[in-house]
Amino acid sequence: MSSWLFGKNSSDSTSDSNIKQTLGFDPNEISDVNKIISSPSPSSHASLLHPLAGLDKGVEYLDLEEEKLNTVEGSKGLIPSRSWSDDLCYGTGAVYLIGLGIGGLFGLQEGINTLQPNQPGKVKLNHILNSITKRGPFLGNNAGVLALTYNIIDSSIDALREKHDDLNSIVSGALSGALFKSSAGLKPMAISSIVMATAAGSWCGIKRLLQ
Amino acid sequence: MSADHTRDPCPIVILNDFGGAFAMGAIGGCVWHGIKGFRNSPYGERGYGALSAIKQRAPRVGGNLGVWGGLFSIFDCSVKAIRKREDAWNAVIAGFFTGGALAIRGGWKHTRNSAITCACLLGVFEGVGMMMQRLQAQPTMAPVYPEEPQALAA
Repeated sequence: MSSWLFGKNSSDSTSDSNIKQTLGFDPNEISDVNKIISSPSPSSHASLLHPLAGLDKGVEYLDLEEEKLNTVEGSKGLIPSRSWSDDLCYGTGAVYLIGLGIGGLFGLQEGINTLQPNQPGKVKLNHILNSITKRGPFLGNNAGVLALTYNIIDSSIDALREKHDDLNSIVSGALSGALFKSSAGLKPMAISSIVMATAAGSWCGIKRLLQ
Repeated sequence: MSADHTRDPCPIVILNDFGGAFAMGAIGGCVWHGIKGFRNSPYGERGYGALSAIKQRAPRVGGNLGVWGGLFSIFDCSVKAIRKREDAWNAVIAGFFTGGALAIRGGWKHTRNSAITCACLLGVFEGVGMMMQRLQAQPTMAPVYPEEPQALAA
């Protein structure tokens, strides 16, 4: 699968050692230093020693440090991520936007259902907008906070265990659900913990299907 | 100017900015409203006051900042796509539209004032950023070459 949204699954056929041998200066070509020194015209070797020598063999690209992807084992997600902060931002942003959208749609429906029939259009529009902005941000904020805690806990567990798997996701889902409802009592805590663990587990399944 | 490798390409970076701004707002709101709730509660209930203030207000701060950052990113990407160049004016124009869009329900005058304020704010940010960049840049010295030996005459 390859798209602008999810990036490309890396399937590089050229390995690193292959590239290094084909590009640039190859010491194996020169068997003996004396051959260079004693050769009749030194200018013929000046082209070999030039900084831009060997360009005809291809260009070697710089491997920038900040382009490197996340190195934690099993952390390859849908979107290529560089580190835990990328996971955090993308995860939180996506969940927040989904929550905002769903809440906004609920608000829209509620606003349309509770319209007073004989009112001017401006008041009707205002009523609908009010109910959208009542529902949307509420759901979005709560979903965003849940995703934020989930991602923080998930990345911490990943860093501690030095690998990422479904168990990490489920455990961090349960922990973040419990933390979210931790001031409401034990029973709501348990319920939200189970709901979040299920959500995290099903997200792992969906991710596996999409990949 | 070299490309910025710390940020992702355009359509997808909107998601990143939404999440980043939301996280910043939520965590910052936790600190801010935690302290505020702690100070504003009576003795004996300070911990509870801090907690309830965080629970009520931190997500809202996160949401407000997240919407601001996300809208800004959307407008920034649109402006980049339309102008086909990357400079400081992108941020100023995007700030103008963001401020306007967020205040659009307050009437024409409020929208205009908010857009102009936001654009000025972003302009100041960009200006300060440029100045910092210029201060931090290493002065480039011309390399000293050895003088060429004079060609011998005959």
